[in-house]
Amino acid sequence: MKKKFLLVLITITGISLLASCGGPLINAQQVIASRTDKELPREDPNSSLWDKVAEHPAKLMVQDVAEPKLAEPGVETIRVRAIHDGNWVVFRLEWEDKSRSLIPESGTGSDAAAVQFPVEPGANVPDAAMGEKGKGVRIWFWKSVWQDDIERAREGKGDRVVSLYPQGSTDHYPYQANESAREEMETRYAPARAAANPITAQSNPVQVVMAEGFGNLSPAPIQEGTGTGQWKDGRWRITIARPLNPGKGMDTLEAGMRSYVAFAVWDGAAGHTGSRKMRSGWIPLVVE
Amino acid sequence: MARVYNWQIGRTMSYWYSENRPAKQFGAVFDINKCIACQTCTLACKTTWTSGRGQEYMFWNNVETKPFGSYPLGWDVQLLDRLGQQKWEGNVYTGQTVFEAAPGGERVMLSKRETIDYSYPNVGEDEIYGSVERGGSLALPQQMWMFYLARICNHCTYPACLAACSRSSIYKRPEDGIVVLDQSRCRGYQECVKACPYGKVYFNAATGTSEKCIACYPKIEQGIQPQCFVNCIGKIRLQGWVSTPDKAREDNPIDYLVHVRKIALPLYPQYGLEPNVYYVPPLHVSDRFLVQMFGPGAPAAVRAYRNAKEDKTLQGLFALFGSTERTIPRFKIAGDFALALDDAGKEFMRVPIYEPVYIRPAQDRLYQIMRSNTT
Repeated sequence: MKKKFLLVLITITGISLLASCGGPLINAQQVIASRTDKELPREDPNSSLWDKVAEHPAKLMVQDVAEPKLAEPGVETIRVRAIHDGNWVVFRLEWEDKSRSLIPESGTGSDAAAVQFPVEPGANVPDAAMGEKGKGVRIWFWKSVWQDDIERAREGKGDRVVSLYPQGSTDHYPYQANESAREEMETRYAPARAAANPITAQSNPVQVVMAEGFGNLSPAPIQEGTGTGQWKDGRWRITIARPLNPGKGMDTLEAGMRSYVAFAVWDGAAGHTGSRKMRSGWIPLVVE
Repeated sequence: MARVYNWQIGRTMSYWYSENRPAKQFGAVFDINKCIACQTCTLACKTTWTSGRGQEYMFWNNVETKPFGSYPLGWDVQLLDRLGQQKWEGNVYTGQTVFEAAPGGERVMLSKRETIDYSYPNVGEDEIYGSVERGGSLALPQQMWMFYLARICNHCTYPACLAACSRSSIYKRPEDGIVVLDQSRCRGYQECVKACPYGKVYFNAATGTSEKCIACYPKIEQGIQPQCFVNCIGKIRLQGWVSTPDKAREDNPIDYLVHVRKIALPLYPQYGLEPNVYYVPPLHVSDRFLVQMFGPGAPAAVRAYRNAKEDKTLQGLFALFGSTERTIPRFKIAGDFALALDDAGKEFMRVPIYEPVYIRPAQDRLYQIMRSNTT
């Protein structure tokens, strides 16, 4: 009854920040990035700092604007918290996902999440579905496989193929024939790498991308972003961090401003990739 | 969706983009009656293009045994089943293509493509269809059959992979119609992998992008046929350029086989992609199966092929298969020779239409012995 009463109170009075008994502070209307003087938990989704800020339960809907659309709903809610220190802002996203999908194979994707901002807030806010021509968006895109790549490399666990097929063996690769030409040969037989596709050289779990509508996503001019994710007990908890003012060609946030933010989540096991995703509309963002 | 004309199904159809044909269209004819599934083509391709990390089970070229073999697993029967019973009325396909049958929210009717589907490249190998009844082994035509189907990307006029890519990372080269996947742009969504009804786009788990046959375009640009063509020991393949029926030229080898003699047929034309690899259907297979696989022209193509030994032009043209590394844009028959001509009409290869036959008497008079014919 008390929770019901609180929901009614939120609706009637518009008071957005309330605490329910024993649970986190919930702000159903907007995402508030609270200011802190402490070190930002850019790569710590379990920091105690997160306990002190309000949470926004963002409702996600199937992407049904552009083909290919998502046929079956995936993650329907993500819980969002945000903190900034005047220079960077960190978002913590949390959602339920029974399977931890890292390396995509045929038919599966990588679990992923994204935080999207309009280049220009206010009257020029574009369509929340990837922006519009002339009205761009900037997106900080975290993908579990990129994080897994980094962790495997750090732990000396080998590449994606080894991870997918630990018992696999291969007779021979041409690049093994000539050690002096190994790197050149390896690249030659990895065409995406040879073509300098940015997704093959991702040394960061977060890629910064930009779009003006569906189908034209490309890397942003400034790749300032970081984050990390932890999957435990059927739940992802990740951080995505960005500078408030990354620089030219990017959107800008500053303390005291109101803008918008949108979220998207991909369930790799369900084959979610690209436009097959769960997404939110624009949600008001307050940078305290 | 736009409306485009697909001559292989004899009607206009829906496609994601409007009709935009290249200056020339890569085309090929495979005479699968001659294929022995030695997989030399497969290895020629593999060593050239797909010997890297993440490409272990990637075969831009493969040869599978029909009716039971398929790679990736069930690529053909799966989609036929999903499409359900469809209909040809004469040479017009009145059923639904993969574009027209696409459910709401999709660009193409998709196929399932999972890792396990790529794990058995030799499934069904050399397995025959049918059983031998009492005395049936002596009867003709034989009751049982199988054949080898050599496959590469069909470099379709209306590629489903291209239509499905939400990033427009796949395009047809305007100069030769070869369908290529931009490796710098692909983000590995795998829409193309699921959309290609022939299962000829592969996902590379090491790079996280999708990859496909490029028709050895660096060779094509030099007027040389692709690796899987020139390494074919059965000489079953001929690469060239295919026109639309209204522009077909009798001296163009591919046009002659596809349009003039209608002896080479597209693979599953009912899918609606206007594929550009054409097959001389196998002689010994039931018409029902051939019509399903190659369209309503299959029985007539088989009859024409059976009669090829009486047909000097056909014989000569087949003799040119595998005779030269160069692409043969034009040909002509001169006496007992088939000539390969370049675009200017200049001869660059000449092959005898008939193999010389030497008959040795059974008795060797010099040594006064009977010859054995087993050597």
